[in-house]
Amino acid sequence: MKKYIINRLVQFIPLLIGISLISFFIMHLAPGDPTSLFIDPNVNPQELARVRANWGLDQPLYIQYFLWLKNAVLLDFGRSYTTGQPVINEIAERLPMTLLLMIPAFALSLLITIPLGVLSAVKKNSWFDKGVTIFSFTGMAIPTFWLGLMLMLLFAVKLHWLPAVGNIILPLITMTVGSLAGMTRYQRAAMLEVLNQDYIRTARAKGLPERLVIYKHALRNALIPIVTLLGLSLPDLFGGAFIIETIFAWPGMGRLGVQSIFQRNYPVIMGIVMFSALLIIIGNLLADICYALVDPRIRYSKNDK
Amino acid sequence: MFQKVFIIIFTLCIFLTTQIFSLQIDPQGELRFALGGEVSLLNPVLSTDTVSSAVEGVLFSGLVTVNEKLEMVPDLAKSWQVSKDGKIWTFYLRRNVKWHDGVPFSSADVKFTFDTILNPKVNSVRRSDYIIAGQPIKFLAVDKYTFRAILPQPFAPFLIHMGMGILPKHLLAGKDLNTADFNRRPVGTGPFKFLEWKTGDHITVVANANYYLGKPLLKSINYKIIPDENARLIAFEAGEIDAVDVPAKDYARMKAGEGALIVENDVLMYTYLGFNLANPKFGDRRVRQAIAQAINKQQIIGLVLRGLGLPANVPSAPASWAYAPGKKLVFDPVRARQLLNEAGVEELEFTVLVNQGNKEREKAAVIIQQQLKKVGIKMNIRVLEWSAMLKIVNAPKDPRDFEAVLMGWSLGLDPDAYSIWHSSQYPRGFNFIKYTNKQVDKWLEQGRTTVDRRARKKIYAQIWTTLAWDQPYVYLWYPKGVSAISHRVGGLAKPNPAGVFLHIEKVYIKK
Repeated sequence: MKKYIINRLVQFIPLLIGISLISFFIMHLAPGDPTSLFIDPNVNPQELARVRANWGLDQPLYIQYFLWLKNAVLLDFGRSYTTGQPVINEIAERLPMTLLLMIPAFALSLLITIPLGVLSAVKKNSWFDKGVTIFSFTGMAIPTFWLGLMLMLLFAVKLHWLPAVGNIILPLITMTVGSLAGMTRYQRAAMLEVLNQDYIRTARAKGLPERLVIYKHALRNALIPIVTLLGLSLPDLFGGAFIIETIFAWPGMGRLGVQSIFQRNYPVIMGIVMFSALLIIIGNLLADICYALVDPRIRYSKNDK
Repeated sequence: MFQKVFIIIFTLCIFLTTQIFSLQIDPQGELRFALGGEVSLLNPVLSTDTVSSAVEGVLFSGLVTVNEKLEMVPDLAKSWQVSKDGKIWTFYLRRNVKWHDGVPFSSADVKFTFDTILNPKVNSVRRSDYIIAGQPIKFLAVDKYTFRAILPQPFAPFLIHMGMGILPKHLLAGKDLNTADFNRRPVGTGPFKFLEWKTGDHITVVANANYYLGKPLLKSINYKIIPDENARLIAFEAGEIDAVDVPAKDYARMKAGEGALIVENDVLMYTYLGFNLANPKFGDRRVRQAIAQAINKQQIIGLVLRGLGLPANVPSAPASWAYAPGKKLVFDPVRARQLLNEAGVEELEFTVLVNQGNKEREKAAVIIQQQLKKVGIKMNIRVLEWSAMLKIVNAPKDPRDFEAVLMGWSLGLDPDAYSIWHSSQYPRGFNFIKYTNKQVDKWLEQGRTTVDRRARKKIYAQIWTTLAWDQPYVYLWYPKGVSAISHRVGGLAKPNPAGVFLHIEKVYIKK
C-alpha cells in the first residue's frame, strides 16, 4: 500500500507538467489578452503595448511558458495583472469563504441523499420512491440562479427573515437543492444494483433479518460508487460555485476563476488550474485508497497497480 | 408692529429649520452602496475599472474636480492660471490639507504623482494623457504650495487630466507602485478614510474629520460587492443597500412603488451602428444615409430601453457642454429607398457584429434587421464574444474583416474625439471604421489645441454637423441612467450627469 502511494505520488510530477503545458497553450488560444479588452478612446494603443511588455507578454509563448514553469517550481505563481497581488494570496483569500460554503453544502447533501436514495431503492416503486423521484427531477430542472433569486425574494423581501446577501443560509439551501437531485438518483441506482446481486439473495436465504441485509451487506457495497463521486467532487469543494457565489455575493473561488478568464488574467488562471489539477489528482488517489477500506476485495499490490 | 412680528417669525423659522435639520441627521449614519464587480485595487493611477474608481472617488482628490455641469472646478488646487500661449499652467494649492495619516499635503505629492504616471515601468494606462505630440508634460513643484505644468503645445483636455487622484509621496517614493501594499490600504486626502477591505465582499471607509471642505455628515460608507444585477435590486428592496442602478425592465415597477427616490440623468454615452468604410458597400454616403433613414430609432428606444433614452444624432451626448444637434436624418423609409436608387444600389446585404451578453444591443440588432428588411436591405447578425469581436474590429490591418458593428462609446468629460475620428488613428487606433475627412482632421486638431471654451464649442458643432451628414456611424441612441435611492438618504445633489452623490460630504442618513 505504502509503495503504491509513493508510486502514485511520483506520477504526479509529469502529470502536473503535462496539465500546465496544455492549459497554458489553450489559455493563450482565447482571443485577446489582458490589455486588448481595455478599449478606451483616451488610451493610446502604445501604452497598452508598453504595459503588455512590462508583463512579459511580448515574448514568444514558449519562453513565457518556461519562465512561468521555472517560477512555479519554486511555488511562485506570479502576480495578478489586475490587483498586483501574488496569485497565491488571491487564492488563499478566497479559499476559506469557499470552504465555508462548500463543505456544509456537501455534508448536508450527503446526509440527505444517502438515506433518500437507499430508501427509494429499498421501497422501489412505492409512493415514497415516486415522491423522491419527482422531487429529484424537479430539483434537477430548476436553474440555480432562478431558485436563488426566488429564495431571496421570499426570505429577504417578503418575509424579512434573512438578509438577501452576505448570509450563508440561502446559498447553502440553493447549493444543496441543486446537488440533491443527481446524487439521490445516483445512490438509488447503486443500491438497486447491489440489491440484485447474488450475495444479497444468499444473505436473505441464510435467513438474515432484512435490516441486516440492507444496512450491513447492501449499503456497504452501494457506497463504493459514492466514494468515487466524493473523490471527484473534491475539486468542486475548492473550486466553488460561480453562479451561486455571484447571486448571493459570496466571495468564493468560482467568481475569481470566471472573472480571471474574462479578464485574461493569465497568472491567476494558471494558479487556479494547477491548484484544481492537484486536487483532482489527490482526490482520485484518496478515492482509490478509500475503495480498499470499503471493499476488502480491492487491494493494491505490487502486481496490481 | 407688523414688521416686528414678521422678524420674530422669520428668525423663529430659521432657528427651527436649522434645528430640524441637525435633528434629522443620524451622526452614526452609514451609507450602503452596492458595487457591481470586484474591486481590483484602490489606486487611481493604476485602476482601469469603474468599480474601483467609485471607491477611489471618496478616498482621493485631484487638483480639480467636476461640478453639476461637468465643468472643472477647484479641489486640491484653490485656483490656477494659464499663460497666454496656453502652455504653462500654474496651480495654487490649498494649504490646510492633510493626508489621512496626518502628514501635510504639498506640491511635492502632486509632482510625485504625475512623474510616477510618466514612469514607463508603472503599469498605468493613463500615461498617454500626459504626453502631448510625443513629448511628456514637464511638472514642477515651484514652491510648497505652487505647482506648474509646462506643456509642449496647448492641449485643451489637459485640465481634466489634472483631476487625477493625487498620491502621497511620503508613503510611495522608492516603492514599486504596481505591487505596493498601498494599493490595498490606500491613504488619500479625500472626504473618507480607508478602514477595511474584505476581498470580494466589502470595503468600508469612514469620515475624514480633517477634510478640507468640512467633516462629512456620514459616519461611514460601506461598499458591498454584489455582482448580480437582480440580486442588487433585491438587496435594495430588502433595505440592505441605499442606492441601486435600475435596469430598463424594472423601471416602471420601481417608479410605481413609493419605496424609493427615482433619479434619472443623462449619461455621456451613445450607441451606434458603424460601417467599415474601407468596404466598397458603404463607400457612398447616400447608402449610409439611406440606412439611417430606414431605422426607426424611437421604436428601438421604446422596445429595448422602455423609453429610457433619446434618439441620437451626432457622436456626442446631450450631457456634454459641446453637444450640438446637427441635421437630423429622420425616419423615412420612402426617402431611404429613393437614396438607394440614387446611389444605384439595387441589392444590399451586410453582416453586423454584436457582442454577446449585451442584451440591449442584441435586441436592437434584431429590430434594425426587421426595419431594414422593409426597404429591401438584408442585414445579417453575427453575435460574438466580446474579445473575439474586438480581435476582428481592432485588428491592426487594412482593410479589416468586418462590414458593420453595433457598439457604443462612453465619452470622456472633454469633447475631444481625435482618437475616434482622426484619420491618423487608422489602422492603429480607434478609428477602426477608417473615417477619413481632411476637414474634420483639421477641426479635431484645432479642437484639442484651443483652450477657449466658446471657440471650442463652435469647432465641435462643425465636427458634429459634418459627422451627422456623413453618417459613418448611424448614431442610434443616448441612454439615460436611472437609479433608485432609499428615502433614508438626505443631502443629495440635484439630478445631474455627475451623479446625485457628487457632494458626498454633504450626504447624510436621516434619523
